[in-house]
Amino acid sequence: MTRHRTRGVRTLAFLAACAFAFKAGGAGVPLDEIRQVLREQALTTPAESLLHDLDAANLAGGLQAIDPAARYFPRALYRSPNQGRDAMSGIGAELLPSGDDLWLLPFQGGAAAAAGLTDRARLRTIDGRSIAGLSLDEIAQRLRGPAGTRVVIGIEDAAGGARRLKIERRSFRPLDVELVQPGAHRILRVREFVAGLTRPALLATVDFIEHAGAFQSEQHPIILDLRDATGGDLFEALDIAALFLPEGAQLATLAARGGVAKTIRAPAGTALEQPLILLIGPGTASAAEILAGILRDHGRARLVGQTTYGKCDSQTDVRLSDGSVLRFTDRAVRLPSGEHCSGVGIAPDLAVDTATLNDLSRLVPRAIGAIHER
Amino acid sequence: MSTDPREGGLAGGIKGLSTGAYDARIREREDRLAVLRQVQGELETERDDLEYTKAQRKQKVAAERARVRRMNRDIAALNRRVDSLSASANRNDQRVRTLRTRVPQIQSQSARLQSDLDALEGSGLGDSEADLRRAQLEQQRASLQAEYDLLNQMSLDLAR
Repeated sequence: MTRHRTRGVRTLAFLAACAFAFKAGGAGVPLDEIRQVLREQALTTPAESLLHDLDAANLAGGLQAIDPAARYFPRALYRSPNQGRDAMSGIGAELLPSGDDLWLLPFQGGAAAAAGLTDRARLRTIDGRSIAGLSLDEIAQRLRGPAGTRVVIGIEDAAGGARRLKIERRSFRPLDVELVQPGAHRILRVREFVAGLTRPALLATVDFIEHAGAFQSEQHPIILDLRDATGGDLFEALDIAALFLPEGAQLATLAARGGVAKTIRAPAGTALEQPLILLIGPGTASAAEILAGILRDHGRARLVGQTTYGKCDSQTDVRLSDGSVLRFTDRAVRLPSGEHCSGVGIAPDLAVDTATLNDLSRLVPRAIGAIHER
Repeated sequence: MSTDPREGGLAGGIKGLSTGAYDARIREREDRLAVLRQVQGELETERDDLEYTKAQRKQKVAAERARVRRMNRDIAALNRRVDSLSASANRNDQRVRTLRTRVPQIQSQSARLQSDLDALEGSGLGDSEADLRRAQLEQQRASLQAEYDLLNQMSLDLAR
């Protein structure tokens, strides 16, 4: 299967596009400290020449040469990945470039969803103007605005239907686990793994659905949408995997510098027994694909979609003496089967084409059918 | 023949009255009125149930807010203890490093729960999304509380 390596940087349509590479201003970057941390703690010992070449004016590039996942955050720009999403004001959707298309991914409870955008759609126009030729930053800028203001967007859904939506921007906070219902089935959508928050939110959402009388049969499995889950806290993902596995089941082996390995097993606790389907795709990355790999290896879930991104290493954030933060790879994660998916990804049990992957109303029936193919 | 007194003028009307058809129509209207009253009663009961459920939800959110406020105070105290532990000879202990990393995180997460619950109380509740949000917040608070208990125990062990 062709891997999608063109997955762009996702940005929030209502926030500054802070995901773009930081260009260090050059002043006051603690280069010696960065070199020392990488020397001592990076998964792979960096070449001294690369460490020596680190330079404040092109720090991002220098770090990438050492570790593709390494990043430097000045104190003022650092935001812990375990903080969860802040309250937002805007149209309530994320922008996702994919090939020639720019997709809008609505948040449950956001303004776009309230205006009728229930699933992803290609963005075509903003206030009557085509987005062709505009940069991602310019598009985000046009979509942004204070609560109470309006924007009209032209969209094309996955099935090709075009329509215009009038959206009144508003404040909201995304749910940690969203519950979307494209038809008869309810789908739990996870976009990131936040330490201490995502697992309880998932558990609460499963209970919430059960109280509504769903999950009674194989016709109603738990469907977990990881298509846009770009990662987050590894241990939160492992804790979620443990929800579906018996006590003692091997979750993963974390290998650090020098071959030091630690095997993590499922603790005692809640074990959810409903049939489980995971929706995965090229946007499923890091902690999310590790979760998918663990549940696949144990035969606990059917994976439906497309091959995942292929990043099965774990990063750590180290606060430096001036308050800035260095993020770098410090562990390789091996799945229960011993597989290390970096550069390879996790393949689905049932592969679908891109049009189906982007259209929940087609994807979900295929996924339900997959349960019976076990 | 029609029993409607409007059909056939006065004579027809008198005829309709004399045959008892008019009484039958009055009874029929009374029956319909009784059915409407019953439906209205059911709707009022349903409205009372919804009001009760809404009041219960508000109570639950208020109780949850009180729990989170207590937890915020407890975490703040734990954070102060971690600061003093960090200044002590134990500062290189792995457990101290864990405390220094995770306690500020659960403090900010707990503050987030507080503001989410505040917003939820002002939202009027009652729709399924608000219910889901409340369910998630309750579970998250319980989970953070359990983690706080573990971290607190760890800090007490270190302080001995």
